[in-house]
Amino acid sequence: MQTFIGYERADGSVGTRNVVAIASVMDNSNPVARAVASAVSGTVLLPGLFLRGQLGRDREITLSVMAGLCLNPNVAGVVVIGLEPITTGELVARIKKSGKPVEFVNVQPAGGTINAIAEGTRMAARMVREVSKIRSREYPISKLRIGVECGGSDTTSGLSSNPAVGIVADRIVAAGGQVIISETSEFFGAEQLFAQRAKDAATKKRFLHEVAALEKEIVDQGIDLRGSNPSQDNIRGGLTTIEEKALGAMAKAGKSPLVGVLSYGEQPKAAGLHFMAAPAPAVENLTALAAGGCQMVVFSTGVGNPIGHPVSTIIKVTGNRNTAETFADNIDYEVTGILERNERIEDAGNGLFAYVVSVASGELTSSEVLDVRETIISRFGMSM
Amino acid sequence: MLRAIVLHPNDNVATLIDPGRAAEPVQLTGEGSSKIELRADVPFGHKCAVRPIAKGAEILKYGQVIGRATSDIRPGDHVHVQNVEALRGRGDVEEGR
Repeated sequence: MQTFIGYERADGSVGTRNVVAIASVMDNSNPVARAVASAVSGTVLLPGLFLRGQLGRDREITLSVMAGLCLNPNVAGVVVIGLEPITTGELVARIKKSGKPVEFVNVQPAGGTINAIAEGTRMAARMVREVSKIRSREYPISKLRIGVECGGSDTTSGLSSNPAVGIVADRIVAAGGQVIISETSEFFGAEQLFAQRAKDAATKKRFLHEVAALEKEIVDQGIDLRGSNPSQDNIRGGLTTIEEKALGAMAKAGKSPLVGVLSYGEQPKAAGLHFMAAPAPAVENLTALAAGGCQMVVFSTGVGNPIGHPVSTIIKVTGNRNTAETFADNIDYEVTGILERNERIEDAGNGLFAYVVSVASGELTSSEVLDVRETIISRFGMSM
Repeated sequence: MLRAIVLHPNDNVATLIDPGRAAEPVQLTGEGSSKIELRADVPFGHKCAVRPIAKGAEILKYGQVIGRATSDIRPGDHVHVQNVEALRGRGDVEEGR
């Protein structure tokens, strides 16, 4: 049985990294969180946006997705930085339920910025030393939950890198693991083909509803999607329409049946391939997948997209020979043999799978080493 | 010779995997096997028509509809945003609604 080397958590999940998250409850506590994260190595910064004044669905999303990022298996412990105790308490309670170590500091009762930074830094330093005692060991591939995404796509994405990622997705699913494909708008024109793979009528209906509802929102506003998606770099790379992009993007999901449909940032319960309804832009989508508990995201790129995520490890794959050469600093794995040397997609995909397992076991990727990482929680409504 | 991949027997476009110049011959591969001559420069990764496509006709790639021709297209023409429009996410036109 194939295994990877990871870190077990109290809830039974297994991290492929072992970091302490410095999570800011809302935007006004970001400066303190930033100072704490920069003072203590072994931490990752999770800045907050909004929350204060948000209401309804947006408030719930901001809280639940930040909690989801903290609950990601790669996070060993969390120091929460907030302004006041009540809202901070809501986030802390959601993290605590999992049994994960969590501490918090609030800027108002701490007596201002300097005291809050000092308190938070001591907490983070203690916690990093504590979680460094966790010993890694071997776990089955069934403990992996990976996202599949594409960004900076071009026509080589649909011809080479996405199908190679699809082989990886199928192998993870075959081993009993979980795979999440997302980016709702990038199913426009491919949704009927993809829906045929749903395990039952209810799953099919829910998937098609998510795609149709998003398109209706655009159409009702009188917006022409052209000009936004495909993006200008997609068009330069030869992608002409959203339909063409979608048909190529779908290949990332391999050939496994679709077993579930997730809302934005939701964690899957069952094994197998899932669809998550979430915005397509890379940082928003990576954040949604990381909140959904993906330890890693295999990210296919055509013309080149460099971005990673603080919590989830991002693997950049290209099948474009020009990008492999000119964008090499930000590419982790290339499958250019498919178009250049008639390499079989299956062989390229199996090579990529071996690399994914190595990254799961600790090999670092370009966005980790260069710290090219960003996180942002989508906002759908207004603040009051 | 330049190479262009045809992904499905029904497709009316092929994807160039080499940068092409007008008047250069292209060898079709994948689901195609004939040669065509480019009528325009076609960058790496862009598409050329492999058969005539009338204005208003569907553009087929992967055996699926990826858009509609906005002008008559001849074999060897560069097929891209200048002569193809998307049909999805079109709140700007009545039929998108």
